[in-house]
Amino acid sequence: MLSRTADHLYWMSRYMERAENITRFLEVANRMAMSAGRDRAAYWRPVLTIAGGEAAFAESYGERSAGSVIEFSVLDPANSSSIYGSLRAARENAHAVRSVIPSELWESLNSTWLETRGLDGPRLRDQGLTSFCEWVRERSHQFRGITYGTMLRDEAFHFLRLGTFLERADNTARLLGVRATGVKADSTEADADDQMHWAAVLKSVSAFKAFRTVHGDNLTPVTAVDLLVMRDDMPRSLHACLDQVSLILGKLNPTAECARLAGAAHAQLHWGRLDQLLARGLSRFIADFLTANNALGARIHEDFLLA
Amino acid sequence: MAFDEMKSSDGGVRSPYQAYENWLLSVPPDLLPRKNEQADALFRRLGITFAVYGDEEGTERLIPFDPIPRIIAATEWKRLSAGCCQRVRALNAFLKDLYHGQDIVKAGVIPKAHILGNGLYRPEMHGLDVARDVYIHIAGIDVVRTGESEFFVLEDNLRSPSGVSYMLENRAMMMRLFPDLFTRHHVAAVESYPDQLLKNLRSVAPAACEGDPTVVLMTPGYHNSAYFEHAFLAEQMGIELVEGRDLFVKDKLVYMRTTQGPKRVDVIYRRIDDDFLDPDAFNPESALGVRGLLEAYRAGGVTLANAIGTGVADDKATYTYVPDMVRFYLGEEPILANVPTWRLEREDERNYVLEHLAELVVKEVQGAGGYGMLVGPTSSKAEIEAFRARILDNPGNYIAQPTLALSTVPTLVDKGIAPRHVDLRPYVLMGETATLVPGGLTRVALREGSLVVNSSQGGGTKDTWVLEDDPC
Repeated sequence: MLSRTADHLYWMSRYMERAENITRFLEVANRMAMSAGRDRAAYWRPVLTIAGGEAAFAESYGERSAGSVIEFSVLDPANSSSIYGSLRAARENAHAVRSVIPSELWESLNSTWLETRGLDGPRLRDQGLTSFCEWVRERSHQFRGITYGTMLRDEAFHFLRLGTFLERADNTARLLGVRATGVKADSTEADADDQMHWAAVLKSVSAFKAFRTVHGDNLTPVTAVDLLVMRDDMPRSLHACLDQVSLILGKLNPTAECARLAGAAHAQLHWGRLDQLLARGLSRFIADFLTANNALGARIHEDFLLA
Repeated sequence: MAFDEMKSSDGGVRSPYQAYENWLLSVPPDLLPRKNEQADALFRRLGITFAVYGDEEGTERLIPFDPIPRIIAATEWKRLSAGCCQRVRALNAFLKDLYHGQDIVKAGVIPKAHILGNGLYRPEMHGLDVARDVYIHIAGIDVVRTGESEFFVLEDNLRSPSGVSYMLENRAMMMRLFPDLFTRHHVAAVESYPDQLLKNLRSVAPAACEGDPTVVLMTPGYHNSAYFEHAFLAEQMGIELVEGRDLFVKDKLVYMRTTQGPKRVDVIYRRIDDDFLDPDAFNPESALGVRGLLEAYRAGGVTLANAIGTGVADDKATYTYVPDMVRFYLGEEPILANVPTWRLEREDERNYVLEHLAELVVKEVQGAGGYGMLVGPTSSKAEIEAFRARILDNPGNYIAQPTLALSTVPTLVDKGIAPRHVDLRPYVLMGETATLVPGGLTRVALREGSLVVNSSQGGGTKDTWVLEDDPC
C-alpha cells in the first residue's frame, strides 16, 4: 500500500477517535460542574488537555468558562483539535483515500461532516451538549462498525485500527491524568468528591457497569485505575489498547523498531503489577506513558509512513 | 425549431421514447420531482461533487442530475459507435505518423506549419515508439445532433477526457430510482467500462515490465475538479490512486513508495496535463509531477496513458483536418461529419467571420470547458465587440462555427417538463482495437434556450440509454 494512503488511513481514524473522546471529556466536566458548589469553571479545564491545549485556548478566549471551553473544544474551526476540526480532518483524510475505504465509510464520514458543518452556537444550545455528544459517539460507533464489519483484514484495515488504538491509549491516559495528583498505590480510600469524580470518569468511557462487575462497590482511585490501566478485557484500558497496537505492528512488520517499542510498552502492562507501576505516583506514570506513546507514534511514522 | 428527440414535428412520439412516454403517462405528476430530490440527497451523501475553479464560496458542487433519460435507438447507436471508433483510429494513426515519418505532411494533406507551429506538438515524442502504437488510450468524442439523422462531431478530447464516472453513476442512480423502467426497456449495460479500460491498460505494459503489469491512476490530488472521478475509477479498477509525490524514478524505471518499500510501476493512467508531468522536462514549477518521468518514458521503462503530445491532435484547428485523416489513413469515408468550421488564420475566412460574429460561435483553438468562447446569438453588442478585439489580437488562436440548433430532450425544470438542448460524449477505448461502451455522458443546458452544456457553466447531466433492439 502507498505510504501516503497508510498515513491518511491512520490519521482518519485517529481524528475520529479524538472527536469521540472529546465528548467523553466534556461529559465528565459537565457532570462534575453541575454538582459542584463553586468554581465550576475549573472543571472544564481538563477538556483542554485533549481538545487543543490550554495555551491556544488562552490566546483566543482568555477567561475560562463553561461556554468558552465548549465553544473552543466543540465548534471552533480554527482549533484543529476541536470536535469540528477533528471531524473535518477525519473527512479530509477519508476524501484522499476514498478509493481504498468502503464506500459506506466515506458516506458516513461525509454526512457526519456535512451535519457538523451546519452547526453553530445557537443550534448547539438548542440541541443540548449532551445529545450532541451522544450523536458524535453514535457516528463514531458507526465508523467502527463499518470498518469492523466490512473491511478486508489487510494493511488498510491494520493502519486504520492502529490509529484508533494509539489515539485511544493517549486519550484514556489523559483522562486518568485529570485527577492524578496524589494518587498512589495505597490510595484505597476515597471521599465523596473523589468517588463522584471517578464515577464520572468511568461513566464517560462507558465503563461503570464493567466496574461494578469487576470491583463491586469498592470505588477508590486505585480500583478505577486498575480497570482503565491493567484490565486487558476492558476495551478502552491502556492494556487493551497496547494489546491491539503490538498485535497490529506484529502483523505489519514484526522486525520494525516500532514493533519492538510497542512490545516493550505492552510487556510492562501485561506482566507488571499496579502497585509497582504506581510506586512513584499516578501522575508520574501517566506522564511517562504519554511520552512513550508519543515516541511510538513518531517511530511508526518513520517506519511506515514516510518510506 | 430545434429537433426534439422525443416529440416529432407532427406531435407524435418518436419510437425510441414510446415506452417511456407510456410509463410517464401512468405515474403521478409529482413522482419525478420527488425522485429528483432523492437523487440530489444521495449524490450529496456519496460526495459525487466537482470543484469549480475560481468559485471560493462553494468549492464543491453537485452537477445537476436530470431524472429523464436520453434514449438512443440501436440503429442510431450503431452508426454513432462506428463513426466514433473510426475517428479515433484515424487520429491515433495521425499521431503515430506525426511523431515519425509525417507522411500526411509530405502528401500535402496538412500544412507543415500547422504542426510545427502548434504549441501542443511535443518534439520529445519524435521518433519514439509507444507500446502497441497506442497514443489515445481514452478518447471522449463530443457529438451533437440537429435532425433525425444529422449527427456532427463537435470536438475530440484526446488528453484526459473526464465525465465517464457520471455515465456510470447516473446509470446506477437511475436503476436505484426507477427499477421498473429497466424492466420495460432493454437498456445496454455500461458497467463493463472499468474492466475494459483496465484490460487495455494492462495490454500496453512497456517492454521493461517483468511479470504482471502494475497499473496506477495518477491524480493532481483531491483539490482537482475531477478528483471524484479519479478516485472512483481507481476504486472500480482496483488500482492505486497515486499523486506525483508517491512516485519516483530510479535508473529510468518508475517506483511508488509503499509501506513495504518501493514497488515498480509499469503503466500510468495519468489525469494530469503534459506540462505538469515532469518538472525536469516541462514546467519546472510543477509540484504535481515526478522528476525523471519523461526520461523513463522515453527509455521504455513506463507507459503513459494517454501518450504525451496527443494535444496536437485535439485542438480545434487540427479538428478541421480529421475527415481528411480518415480518408488518408483508413481509406474510408468519414461516417460522422464535422461541424463546418472557419479557420481564422486564413484571411478570407476571417473576414467572413468578423462580419457575421452575431450569428456564429467562436472558440479558442486550445480552449476547453466552455471558457474563452463567444456564442454570437446570445451575446450583447458590447460582448461581441470585446471579443472582436481579442480575435484581431491573435486571429490564429480562434475558429468559428455556425450556431447549431442542438437537439432537445425533455428535462425536468421548475415548471414541469420542458425541452432542453443536449450533447453527447461517448468514450472510446483503444487497446488492440477501438471499442465503445454503449452509452456516454449526455450533458444538458438547463437554462431555457441555452446551448452551453458545460458543467462549469450551469449544465447538468442525464443518463444515456442505448436500446438493445429497435422497437418494431
